[in-house]
Amino acid sequence: MENSASTSISSLSTPPWNLERPFLTGRFHQESKTTSRFAELKLDSFRSGWQENAIGCYDAAIQELIVIDDLLSALLGIEGRYISIKRVHGKEDEVSFQVDASMDLALQELAKRIFPLCESFLFINQFVESRSQFKKGLVNHAFAAALRALLLDYQAMVAQLEHQFRLGRLSIQGLWFYCQPMMGSMQALSAVTWKVSANDIAGSAVLNLLQSQAKAMAGDNAVRSLLEKMTQYASNAYLGILERWIYEGVIDDPYGEFFIAENKSLRKESLNQDYDTKYWRQRYSLKEGIPTFLANIAGMILTTGKYLNVMRECGHNVQLPVSETLKLMSFGSNHQYLESIKAAYDFSSSELLKLVLEKYDLIGKLRSIKHYLLLDQGDFLVHFMDIARDELSKKLDEISVEKLQSLLDVALRTTAAAADPCHEDLTCCVERMSLPKSLRALKDLVDSRTLTDINDQEEPMGITGLEAFSLSYKVRWPLSIVISWKSLSKYQLIFRFLFHCKHVERQLCGAWQVHQGVRSLNIHGTSISRSSLLCRAMLKFINSLLHYLTFEVLEPNWHVMHNRIQTAKSIDEVIQHHDFFLDKCLRECLLLLPQLLKKVEKLKLLCLQYAAAAQWLISSSIDPCKSEESSDSLVGSKKSKQCYGKTAKGAKLTTSNSAVTESILKFEKEFNSELQSLGPILCKSSQAEPYLTHLAQWILGIEMTNRF
Amino acid sequence: MPREIITLQVGQCGNQIGMEFWKQLCLEHGISKDGILEDFATQGGDRKDVFFYQADDQHYIPRALLIDLEPRVINGIQNSEYRNLYNHENIFVSDHGGGAGNIWASGYDQGKGVEEDIMDMIDREADGSDSLEGFVLCHSIAGGTGSGMGSYLLETLNDRYSKKLVQTYSVFPNQMETSDVVVQPYNSLLTLKRLTLNADCVVVLDNTALNRIAVERLHLSNPTFAQTNSLVSTVMSASTTTLRYPGYMNNDLVGLLASLIPTPRCHFLMTGYTPLTVERQANVIRKTTVLDVMRRLLQTKNIMVSSYARTKEASQAKYISILNIIQGEVDPTQVHESLQRIRERKLVNFIEWGPASIQVALSRKSPYVQTAHRVSGLMLASHTSIRHLFSKCLSQYEKLRKKQAFLDNYRKFPMFADNDLSEFDESRDIIESLVDEYKACESPDYIKWGMEDPDQFLTGEGNASGTADPSLAV
Repeated sequence: MENSASTSISSLSTPPWNLERPFLTGRFHQESKTTSRFAELKLDSFRSGWQENAIGCYDAAIQELIVIDDLLSALLGIEGRYISIKRVHGKEDEVSFQVDASMDLALQELAKRIFPLCESFLFINQFVESRSQFKKGLVNHAFAAALRALLLDYQAMVAQLEHQFRLGRLSIQGLWFYCQPMMGSMQALSAVTWKVSANDIAGSAVLNLLQSQAKAMAGDNAVRSLLEKMTQYASNAYLGILERWIYEGVIDDPYGEFFIAENKSLRKESLNQDYDTKYWRQRYSLKEGIPTFLANIAGMILTTGKYLNVMRECGHNVQLPVSETLKLMSFGSNHQYLESIKAAYDFSSSELLKLVLEKYDLIGKLRSIKHYLLLDQGDFLVHFMDIARDELSKKLDEISVEKLQSLLDVALRTTAAAADPCHEDLTCCVERMSLPKSLRALKDLVDSRTLTDINDQEEPMGITGLEAFSLSYKVRWPLSIVISWKSLSKYQLIFRFLFHCKHVERQLCGAWQVHQGVRSLNIHGTSISRSSLLCRAMLKFINSLLHYLTFEVLEPNWHVMHNRIQTAKSIDEVIQHHDFFLDKCLRECLLLLPQLLKKVEKLKLLCLQYAAAAQWLISSSIDPCKSEESSDSLVGSKKSKQCYGKTAKGAKLTTSNSAVTESILKFEKEFNSELQSLGPILCKSSQAEPYLTHLAQWILGIEMTNRF
Repeated sequence: MPREIITLQVGQCGNQIGMEFWKQLCLEHGISKDGILEDFATQGGDRKDVFFYQADDQHYIPRALLIDLEPRVINGIQNSEYRNLYNHENIFVSDHGGGAGNIWASGYDQGKGVEEDIMDMIDREADGSDSLEGFVLCHSIAGGTGSGMGSYLLETLNDRYSKKLVQTYSVFPNQMETSDVVVQPYNSLLTLKRLTLNADCVVVLDNTALNRIAVERLHLSNPTFAQTNSLVSTVMSASTTTLRYPGYMNNDLVGLLASLIPTPRCHFLMTGYTPLTVERQANVIRKTTVLDVMRRLLQTKNIMVSSYARTKEASQAKYISILNIIQGEVDPTQVHESLQRIRERKLVNFIEWGPASIQVALSRKSPYVQTAHRVSGLMLASHTSIRHLFSKCLSQYEKLRKKQAFLDNYRKFPMFADNDLSEFDESRDIIESLVDEYKACESPDYIKWGMEDPDQFLTGEGNASGTADPSLAV
């Protein structure tokens, strides 16, 4: 981790003085088997005055004084006359203390007992020096600073001991007595520092280590509380970063220690094109190395800052109202910090939710999308289909999107949509793929996240604007968090399906009107009456389908989503409810059931074929009458009278017009058999998808429980 | 302003119910008596332009033609608070002001005489709309002007605007009280022929049933015309809600009607409405859920057409189609449950020869009209029992015709000149065939009805009926 951090974050480097002047850093001790002539020389000259009288030649009392003097130096990492400090060969940070072998054995023993303290001091001191480099990170700096303060105390103690010694009140036993309490703490600290420098860790790893060491020392109260104190000092800087994140949404982390990473390459504008909403999901992410004391709420911390960030991006300044009491001063065992974080989270999520729901009126936007893409306010579509009929029936390449757009604008301005200020966000587009193919593409995206060769499946020839027309909706930041490109494309799929159903309905209504036109003829028992009943059955089918789609699927699900959003606690919950709504609608609208969809499309196609033929069917049924009728159509009041007389004749003719009758019966047979074949499929699928029973009730009028 | 609808109110009754209808629309859209949008009417989402257009000063004008042969009712309107609402160019009162004397033939004949004037008015209105969807005619079938002139207008509209829809709201006379119009059966029969042949949809408003509802449901001992007319206006405005408050479906008249009307001639619709209230009447406030509303709509006592059927015949009567327009705060999840419940209880008797079910349209309620109930519902239904109403008309006609009574009044006019009463016979035949067709609808074999040799076409198509296989039915 240190590596990655140092590559990504260029930290200042300390000037080289410290390395060049070893006496500043306590790294002046020689290696035990050094061969450097200079060192040898210096050592010799240093010791030359003492060499002749080895310590053994003094009597024990004198020896004790000398040893105490030497030990006091050694406690501060300085060699004495008879105690030498050597770096262990090959090991960077280890030193060993040696005493003159001629020393009184009892004194030697006592001195050796004190050596670990000296070693700890030396080690910690060195650690402090080395960790103060910029690149080691804020946690290390803080930890080193805390250690330095501790060492200052330690040095003061040594100075006091020395004072006692000068007054002649300190025996070596006394020295040992005073040193003992420090021993455990210093050793524990040096163990920690050793681990830190051995693994060269920084940031949260240091905090984790300190914490676990403190826990491991649970039996030793003094050491434990010391380590806890150290943890607290060391984490101060870290908590500072955390505070800025959860209170301001800013990552102030020069050394890459924090556990949240920001990916600046993702722009919020990408939400309008990116299928996976990467911006929302990946702009901020958790890294490895979460401090254990935050591990459980790391997710919450991440979202807290993320939400604050959204608000800042909206130009909305947020200030946490309750300031000082909630500051994360410590994370003792009382879990105060957890509550502070929770409070910050609650604040930021409710604030953002309020912003999105109130200032940016998410519900209003969703409602407006429902008006247009889910046809909840479908009158604009009636008018649009009226005026865009010619353009929509063109082939894909000949359609002018600009023209459609201007027609759409006209339709929107002149219908109930005009009252909705959002209607200007509606644009139209022409897709390149038919609906089933788009659905396959969607499925591929969901399943494998790769666009498998959708192009090899051939397109049913010549789809027209009616199959390809779709609406789009401009969604702006920050609502694009919720209504992302992905959700919008799901809305579009539903729209296209509805749109085509509406088209079929319109065509059938046209056919119905054609039948109405022959009302004045007595069509009793003719193929026309048969045809009108078929028209009714088809209308019933498409109406039932539309009814199912809108009142059984879209409306109740929207209602549920609306209620859920009202009670949602955070924007993520809102996103979740919205996505759930769309997925449920897609599924219940049969769009994810290719087998059923294919059947429905077939039925719709039959309806369209019939509707297209209706005019011909009717007019060729009554042609013999019509030719006479047209000649006297201006005669006025007597006309209907005459016509009635004639119709019987005309109607008689129709029954003999077997081509017409046959084709009507053929339509009827095909339609009915398609419709009937839907039954078993619906039944089979309804075991897995219970909502299909509703559809079956609507379009087949049958109960499906305990059937088949 | 797409899919506009022009309203023609003809005759005394037509103008009275039309007046009530416009009052109700103004209330619902927040339009003042002078046609000016009220300050509070700021919530959008409604479509005023289907029935209104805006003048240069932005005030709303109904797309309505007020036509009568006598001035009384129209003068009343012109002296009322609503006098500034209508376009005065659209008011037609015949010069002599003598009315039609309750004679159909007179109204028809006068209609012919003033055709040009009226068609000018209609053309002007039609030209002023973007894509006219159709016409709505309000009239009664019993009197002279509404029935006779209305009939003439129906024929003319059919001729001149053959691609446009014509819907009528036709008031059928009260059969329970003796009418001062003795020739009512003649008028009704002759009008019924035009309603059958020249209208796309007839909403039957039966004064007998309206009176019964006013007495039984609203506890009015002696209901006035104003009170029954307010029932009519409620029905009329409710049946147009899906056009005025757009929703998922039925946003155009053709879609609304096409789903209801099975064959070109069986286009007579019954209505039911609940909960009913009359102005200034403190009613008991009931709990209104979707299920309650739908259940009440199916009860005969709430239906605004009286059934003259005998019990045996009544049990055979069947619904051909039903559309329930539910207004108000509805939890959409309740709709399915309610339909399910109605299906389980077998509350509806549907035809067997084709797919049929209750269609539901959820619609918004006007935010400007306060009502005590949360949900209200209108049923538009095609029901075979309507044939008994026509049979009743036929039998009354036969009675009168047998006596050759009052025919002189008709012989005065060209259509019946030279004792040519074939028009009566023809009308009788048509109504009879209409009754037969409705009767045939009650049979499961209706789809083959009248086919000279159905098997000729059906060989090898074991089950070609448009419904689910009967053997699959529960």
